[in-house]
Amino acid sequence: MPNTEADQIFNKVCELLKPYNPENRPISMQSGIVSDLEVDSVAVFDLVMGLEDHYDISIPMEMVSDIKTVGELVTAIKQLAED
Amino acid sequence: MPLFDKYGSIESRVGLVKKLIGKDPLGVEFDDIMGRTRGRIGNRDIILAGTNNYLGLTFDEDCMEAAKAAIDAHGTGTTGSRVANGTYTEHVELEKALADHFGMASCIVFSTGYQTNLAAISGLTGKDDIIFMDADAHACIIDGTRLSEASTIRFRHNSPEDLDKRMSRVKEKKGDFFVIIEGLYSMFGDIAPIDEFLDVTHRHGGYLYIDEAHSYGVFGETGCGLAEAQGVMDKVDFIAGTFSKSLASIGGFCVSKHPEFEIARKVMRPYLFTASPTPSNVSAALAAVGKINSPIGDALRENIWERAKQLHKGLDDLGYDLCADPSPVIAARRPNEAICAMEWNWLLENGLYVNIAVPPGTPQSTSLLRISLSAAHTEDDVKQIIEKFAQLKDVQGDLMADMMKLAG
Repeated sequence: MPNTEADQIFNKVCELLKPYNPENRPISMQSGIVSDLEVDSVAVFDLVMGLEDHYDISIPMEMVSDIKTVGELVTAIKQLAED
Repeated sequence: MPLFDKYGSIESRVGLVKKLIGKDPLGVEFDDIMGRTRGRIGNRDIILAGTNNYLGLTFDEDCMEAAKAAIDAHGTGTTGSRVANGTYTEHVELEKALADHFGMASCIVFSTGYQTNLAAISGLTGKDDIIFMDADAHACIIDGTRLSEASTIRFRHNSPEDLDKRMSRVKEKKGDFFVIIEGLYSMFGDIAPIDEFLDVTHRHGGYLYIDEAHSYGVFGETGCGLAEAQGVMDKVDFIAGTFSKSLASIGGFCVSKHPEFEIARKVMRPYLFTASPTPSNVSAALAAVGKINSPIGDALRENIWERAKQLHKGLDDLGYDLCADPSPVIAARRPNEAICAMEWNWLLENGLYVNIAVPPGTPQSTSLLRISLSAAHTEDDVKQIIEKFAQLKDVQGDLMADMMKLAG
């Protein structure tokens, strides 16, 4: 059974990733944000600010540093939104 | 070598730029530095307009004499940290001079500007504290937060409203709130609304820390920086700065209105475990503080602001997309990294040294030609800088053709 909440967060992440993914590379839960999508380190933090505002959560920078894939970002948002 | 494989993408990026312009723009070697605004590469004289030598004091006779006298009196090095090897009279004199200049209770000097932020940020914040950091903060501020046990939240650049929102979002405040901004931002040359940040920070019961590395010396009635210029210096908790810009040396400082700041000397690792600044570095900076807080400083500030307005208008008239209002830092947005590198190289080959700044070192993933002015620049120097940028517009077609040929 698909995890609808995670799917919704994944879709939101994809939407906010668009401006940082000009070559329109395919995005999956396994995509490395820096390694596959080549989003630069500062842009990752800009993306995170947009997600913080959308979900009204705080994602501390030390947590962002440990997040490597889109899936890990989705999981972190889900947990923080539930707290 | 497998050890270096992780740098493959950086190597190919550097390689591409080298292929385009035949050199590494982040590795410029001058054959001579003849003065505050002139250098030489080979047989070519270069106007220096990317040195952050804002007040041009690096060749000031009194600063040079002070540095030489300190070497004669106390030697070339301190051979270790102040904790292990002792404090020199020069350290004490400079800390007193800076505390007096700011009207603050406490001042600690550090070995570099970078270490100042590493030390102060990591030393002043702890496990349960939360750091709120401006999105465009310099790398040394980011590294300072990494060295801290505190959690760090980034807020939108120069937005007190966004800071307010993010501070309000914290549900349970276990420790202190510590807000970090800069005065003059080094890439775009834009300035912070310090009074508004103070209001938000103190309303949430937090402390405000301002890095005035690029604004000390050039802003404010006595040159203390932007907090002084905005009339709120007495309310700011901590102000950090560097010796390597207006103070014409190398090192850094942090002043505080809180006398308890002194205890931080016992916990700041980048202070405890590194060699203290040398007598000559400290003495040159001390002489420069005296100049900044004097009619000489007033005259230097008057000139750098005149030159800033002259250059800003000149480049604006040429149609360059400038990042901010006139200030000692003037940056023009360029379409991309390759064009920026070609243009930067053309300027250098034609006798003008400016900075090239590219992502991730820049805000909004921009590529910039960045100029830092000096009070030592004359009206004619700035005319020449504007003329070079005008010529650069004229050769755009040739540069693009060269680029296409090389890329092809």
